Amino acid sequence: MRILVVEDDADAAGAMVRGLNEAGNEVVHAPDGAYGLIEAQKGGFDVLIVDRMMPRLDGVGMVETLRGMGDQTPVLFLSALGEVEDRVTGLKAGADDYLVKPYAFAELIARVDALARRRETGGVQTVLKVGDLEMNLIARTVHRGETEIDLQPREFQLLEFLMRHAGQSVTRTMLLEKVWEYHFDPQTNVIDVHISRLRAKIDKGFDRQMLQTVRGAGYRLEA
Amino acid sequence: MKLPSLFRRTPFRLTLLFLALFAAAASAVLAWVYVVSASEARSAAEASVRAEVEVLAGIHRERGDNALNAALIERVSRGGSYLYVLSDRAGAIKTANISQSPFDPRAAGDDPRWDDFRVPDVDEDGRVQMRQAIGVETPLGPNDLLFVGQDIGDIEDYLARLTQALWAAMALVLILGLVGGLIISRNVERGMGRIQTVVSAVQGGDLKARAEVRGRGDELDELADGLNIMLDRMEASMASIRHAGDAIAHDLRSPLTRMRAKLEVALIDAEAGRIDAVDALQVALSEADDLLKTFNTVLAIARLQAAKTPEMDRFDAGDLAADMAELYQPAAEDKGLDFGHEVDRGLFIRASRAFLSQALANLIDNAIKYTPPGGAVMLRARRRSSGEIEFSITDTGPGVPAEDRDRVTQRFVRLENSRTEPGSGLGLALVAAVAEAHAGRLQIDEGPGAVDQDDGGVSGPGLRVAFILPPAD
Repeated sequence: MRILVVEDDADAAGAMVRGLNEAGNEVVHAPDGAYGLIEAQKGGFDVLIVDRMMPRLDGVGMVETLRGMGDQTPVLFLSALGEVEDRVTGLKAGADDYLVKPYAFAELIARVDALARRRETGGVQTVLKVGDLEMNLIARTVHRGETEIDLQPREFQLLEFLMRHAGQSVTRTMLLEKVWEYHFDPQTNVIDVHISRLRAKIDKGFDRQMLQTVRGAGYRLEA
Repeated sequence: MKLPSLFRRTPFRLTLLFLALFAAAASAVLAWVYVVSASEARSAAEASVRAEVEVLAGIHRERGDNALNAALIERVSRGGSYLYVLSDRAGAIKTANISQSPFDPRAAGDDPRWDDFRVPDVDEDGRVQMRQAIGVETPLGPNDLLFVGQDIGDIEDYLARLTQALWAAMALVLILGLVGGLIISRNVERGMGRIQTVVSAVQGGDLKARAEVRGRGDELDELADGLNIMLDRMEASMASIRHAGDAIAHDLRSPLTRMRAKLEVALIDAEAGRIDAVDALQVALSEADDLLKTFNTVLAIARLQAAKTPEMDRFDAGDLAADMAELYQPAAEDKGLDFGHEVDRGLFIRASRAFLSQALANLIDNAIKYTPPGGAVMLRARRRSSGEIEFSITDTGPGVPAEDRDRVTQRFVRLENSRTEPGSGLGLALVAAVAEAHAGRLQIDEGPGAVDQDDGGVSGPGLRVAFILPPAD
């Protein structure tokens, strides 16, 4: 993937560029919003990672300008401002996701992957297929091979999210945010328990375990 | 030109303005009284003069010149307030009680002529004075002119005295008003003075200064009271910020020190090849994450307490409670707890969804964490008879002793028997801060009491935490 990192803190940007490079991405760095805008306009990026507070042109201004010009490249905002209102402002400006500093690097990679992937699978789908797992979004049914799997509404949503991001790591925070729409940090392993219940339903009795735990990151649904 | 300082005081200015308005109104009333009384007196005098002329003209018409003359002589000698002059057109006076008519007889026409004039008179002390009079000259036959007048000096005197009295009253009012204005001005000044003193003291950095409330319940007391409440709040929020700063410093120092020591040991061990450096780094990383969480929570609490009201929406608290129950039920059951929920709907509140869900999550997290396997956790959402909306979380864990219930909502307070569990001691503090920011409150009570467990043991008495919010309209 080709990623543009717009971040004024040289140390933070350096660590991010190195980490993203090691994950197999091509990374361009811009030291402020104005440079960021110039680089972004050259095009060819899969994801833009934009810091919110920067000299010259801040992240919100940069993304608003970019969207105003019709550029729809997915944007991930990074910010030390974690309050709900800040999050809302960021998303309103046209960002697609929002990550509060400090963050775990696994979280950043997972979110960047998710954003890039979302772009590839544009368009309305009625049936999701991952390996022998099939989900019909209209009939709201799930089959693995010939076996019909009976899911609770929330389990259905959880599996849908995992299937849309099949092959990618998704973190617990991402699941809590995207499936339950909560933005807090539970002390109890609530997500793990939901995942293990879902796993019991889709993997139990099958040789191949599709729903895998990724150490230090979260979960991944493998075909 | 600079006015004397007294004139720049609001109460004194208001007094002056009031006096000016009063003087203008009094002058208008005075003028009106004067005009009305004067014209009343004049028309009464005119009417009586006209009647007298009527009578005398009748005598002349019916009984001739001599009868008129006799009647006049009789009237003059009897005295009275009428003035008479009977003369011919050449000006020769036949009968009169004044030296001459105010009219020139040679200019007389055929119509009666009215005039105001002054007539000399002698007062009790023998001094001559000119008194106001009115009169009419009426032609009688071809040769004679009859003048009848009346002395209206008494009325004029009365009006003059009235005017004088009113002027004197006005002067008195002005003097009293000025004195009153000065007194009011000084009183208000003194009242404002105590408030001004406090403001100056606070400007000078003394946040402990408070205005004296004299208990009269007047608007100055209200102002002083308001000022004191404002200062209390400011002082509390400053203290809370200072406390938060101290708390962060205190609570971050020990784990930072611990982490540093561990890293140092790990470095030595790794150099000697005794341990894997990756493991040490992972431990350090998770300690750093815990520190950041603590820091973020302390910051959130401080912001809530510093009265930075979060953005609020109107929504059904029942929906939120049901969602939270759905999120937590598997985790509770996984730990061997019986997790139940009784949630009413239509419980509309105005709240920050993000902060409220965090608060509920903290309460449920605590209940699950501290209740031993085999116990039960119950989440309820209902409307109280007072109309308030109540979330309550009841568990069958060890509970919190009554004497510690106020303390557990303070930052970094962890009870002895919970120190073995992971946690920052900030969960309930954040819940309490969220409650306060929503004009709600937190109630901590004993749970259902001692409960026999399936395995024969006894748990309890449990804990019941109620999070109470005012309803949305």
